[in-house]
Amino acid sequence: MNAPAFPSGNTTAPSGTMAAPSGTNRQLTLAIGIQWLTAIATLVLVLAPLGPILWQSLLDRPLYQPNAVLSFDNFARLLSDAGFLRAVATSFELAFAATAIACATGVGLALFLERTDLPARGAFRLFALAPMYMSQLVNAFAWYLIYGPAGYLTLFGEMLVGVPPWDMYGIGGMAIVAGTSMTPLVYLFCSSSARMADATLEDAARSVGAGPLRVLWSVSLPLMRPSIIYAALLVFIGTLETLAVPLVFGRPVGLESFTTFLFSRGLGAITPDYGLVGAAAVLLLVLVAVLLAVQSVLLKGAGRFVTVRGKAQRPRRIALGALRRPVATVFWVYFVLTLMLPLLAIIARSFTTFLTPLLSPLKVLTTDNYALVLGHPAYLRSITNSVIVASVGALVATLGIAVIALVAKRSAFRFAKGLEYLAMFPRAMPGIVAGIGFFWAMLLLPFAHWLQGTIWILMIAFAMRGIPTAYGAIAAALVQVGTELDQSARSVGAGWWKTCTAIVLPLIRPALFSAFTLLFLGFLKEYASAVFLYAPGSEIIGTTMLSLWSNGDTGAVAALSVIQIAITGVFVSLAHFVTRTNRDV
Amino acid sequence: MSDVLIQRLTKRHGEVTVLHGIDLDVPRGEFLTLLGPSGCGKSTTLFALAGLDKPSGGHIAVGGRTFYDGEDGTFVAPEERNLGLVFQSYALWPHMTVAKNLAFPLTLRKVPKAEQRSRIAEALELVDLGDYADRFPHELSGGQQQRVALARTLVFRPSLLLLDEPLSNLDAKLRIKSRALLKSLQRQLGLTTLYVTHDQEEALAMSDRIAVMEKGRIVQIDRPEAIYNRPATRFVADFVGAGNFLPVRASRGRQGEIVEARLDHGEVLRAVRSAATGSDTQGFMTVRPQYLRLAPAGSAVAAGNNRLDGMIEERTFLGVRNGYAIRVGDHLVTAESEDRFETGPVTLAFRPEDTLLLDH
Ligand SMILES: Nc1ncnc2c1ncn2[C@@H]1O[C@H](COP(=O)(O)OP(=O)(O)OP(=O)(O)O)[C@@H](O)[C@H]1O
Ligand SMILES: [Mg+2]
Repeated sequence: MNAPAFPSGNTTAPSGTMAAPSGTNRQLTLAIGIQWLTAIATLVLVLAPLGPILWQSLLDRPLYQPNAVLSFDNFARLLSDAGFLRAVATSFELAFAATAIACATGVGLALFLERTDLPARGAFRLFALAPMYMSQLVNAFAWYLIYGPAGYLTLFGEMLVGVPPWDMYGIGGMAIVAGTSMTPLVYLFCSSSARMADATLEDAARSVGAGPLRVLWSVSLPLMRPSIIYAALLVFIGTLETLAVPLVFGRPVGLESFTTFLFSRGLGAITPDYGLVGAAAVLLLVLVAVLLAVQSVLLKGAGRFVTVRGKAQRPRRIALGALRRPVATVFWVYFVLTLMLPLLAIIARSFTTFLTPLLSPLKVLTTDNYALVLGHPAYLRSITNSVIVASVGALVATLGIAVIALVAKRSAFRFAKGLEYLAMFPRAMPGIVAGIGFFWAMLLLPFAHWLQGTIWILMIAFAMRGIPTAYGAIAAALVQVGTELDQSARSVGAGWWKTCTAIVLPLIRPALFSAFTLLFLGFLKEYASAVFLYAPGSEIIGTTMLSLWSNGDTGAVAALSVIQIAITGVFVSLAHFVTRTNRDV
Repeated sequence: MSDVLIQRLTKRHGEVTVLHGIDLDVPRGEFLTLLGPSGCGKSTTLFALAGLDKPSGGHIAVGGRTFYDGEDGTFVAPEERNLGLVFQSYALWPHMTVAKNLAFPLTLRKVPKAEQRSRIAEALELVDLGDYADRFPHELSGGQQQRVALARTLVFRPSLLLLDEPLSNLDAKLRIKSRALLKSLQRQLGLTTLYVTHDQEEALAMSDRIAVMEKGRIVQIDRPEAIYNRPATRFVADFVGAGNFLPVRASRGRQGEIVEARLDHGEVLRAVRSAATGSDTQGFMTVRPQYLRLAPAGSAVAAGNNRLDGMIEERTFLGVRNGYAIRVGDHLVTAESEDRFETGPVTLAFRPEDTLLLDH
């Protein structure tokens, strides 16, 4: 065959051949090492709480005692425990009621804010999402201060009509607090589907004579059904997992829920019944896992309903006409009652000796609550601990989860798919279950005891809980980065890890930043998994609030709540500023 | 001296076999093109060579070094192969300037900063982009991005240049210009080059040899003229723009020999055997439209030439030429001529050397 050997080196052009970069073998070992290490670390992190719980649920005595016997006895005892069955029933009733409330309000918000020409939509949108930034605990306290048995408005109503106008203790009250605090979830899911909806379908309904409300009810709403079902399951799971609401509005009248049952049997009792708690935790875990499985099946089907068009269209809005003002008024009333008044109450309470309609707050103004919180070393420490856990923990977790995502999505690692499932698993683990699990893991694992009572175990537990959220954000961004960008880096001589650090990670900086933001806010709010893990010295805001609350120290709780809200506010504005000024991030 | 050696290369995706045993032997300095329709496995072959796609079996060696061997499990990571790969989408790193894109492979090879600068300038000069070092990829046109991608692979002096449809995202004019640049660069540098395309014109214009692929197999590998004039199969002939396939029965013969072929309605023609075959075979005869000479019906045909009588059914004005659709028996034959004929009977004359006999 003809093989023209073109002479080379007759020009100034680069000629000859360079060697491949040296140390490529080391790179290969590095890549494989990192991949295995990541997988093992993730496995340990997820199994650390899960293993001890499963193990304990089958043991006839506390897992740290020798000579334990395996049996299903705990489950039998649990299922014949009337208190437990009542607690489960309560949890389900609460979850159904809260889901109904959250769906009604969330869907209403989505429909009117995204599909109609309601005035002040910008402000409403802000209010609609605001509860997401608030800890469930703070939210429950705030509601208590204004609508609780000695709440400001409750007393005010009593003055007017002679008897307390409502009773927030019980399923109804709990459902309202939980439901309104989870409304943002529903709003978030439904609003994106509402924004993508095909406006011509609504126009068609208008043209055949339907009024604006009729169109919303018969056309826009059914189109959102998949999103509603998906969000409803999220709320249902969230309510099952919540500890704050039943703690504040149920336990005082003897109403236990699944989570408070775990809380009081695991922590409140002098000699906790390990086997029973283990079995209950396993049941809650299985329950949530089943609901998540149902949800993922529904989500698969939901894709088919999406009416996104390739053609970008700005959906036209339904004109409400004469209804604009009345509907807007309803929304204002809703936000004042569920968001502003509770917030106002907690701020007012933090600056007064007590809050009652009988006395002008100005007469009882004080900074004592803040002085108490900031002057007491343990309380002050809980604030600094919270900030450290949120910032350091979120930073380290973001980096670690980024590596998990890189291994799962961008490597030839043999168990990449398995790693991804593993990363999503913590979704099935409610905070309180994770807390119990890590607590037991420290009793069980020989080298883990030095973590006991440190903020590090809190960070580890929070990070484990945060993996799915951050993973979702990062993996979604990774999918957007074309594989030829890393392939080309590999072909010019970069190893897998070098490619990740020099090419892939810089390209997904915005996603890393939003993952960090999500984790920071999540860590700052987290309390349920901490109640089993903190010790003097490693308090965080949430645990300090809980203990102050049980001492009846409402003023200090209010002050801590306001401080937590302020930290959140400062962080959110900073994050906003960073994304605004730096398009790159 | 063989530079690239690929033997029995296979690739399976589960049940689907994408490559059925590819054999390639590319001498140093050769420009070899993998030509074939979409999905035939060109990119898979190239990516297997680059180490970005792990084959299922076979053997790959470059410059005497084994990169992959299905038997003993050898697999050299892509970053160790020192091959320059240019992607169809260019794959420039969007967060780096042009200079940074070029510096990355050099930094990996621990080239000192000062030398990096001169090398980068040199490489950019080579592709005519000396002034663009500080631009970001999104600030360049498609053609400029393509040249940066080329410079980025040349800057670290790879032992092999691999190009996966590098010109397919450019408009027609730019494509022809870039073709010339690429070819002259390759000559200048004497780089062994594997080029992937589905554009026959590109392949014919640039290659020293062309390997035509069909469904995961190389069906013919030869110089461009041979591929064009002596396609080995109907598939190759079709792909390089031949037409007028008429089914024939042909007698045995050696490759390149002129043999007799009988059309299904009796006429006997003489044609070149494209490949040696056994006994009487059913095959196809093909002759390019521009080789068919039209003459008034019943005209005499020069001795030794083939003759076919038919009916002009349609004439199409093509500018300088006229295109004709001519019915011969049950078949429609297309022909081109500068002369103008009206619909009706016509005689076609063509040389046996221009007539090709294909087996399948
Ligand atoms: N992951 C996969 N699973 C199954 N089949 C695959 C997979 N990846 C590629 N293929 C198949 O392999 C075949 C060869 O793909 P390849 O990319 O090499 O084609 P190509 O010749 O480069 O085509 P094109 O000109 O379109 O780029 C295609 O038929 C494709 O469908
Ligand atoms: Mg291809």
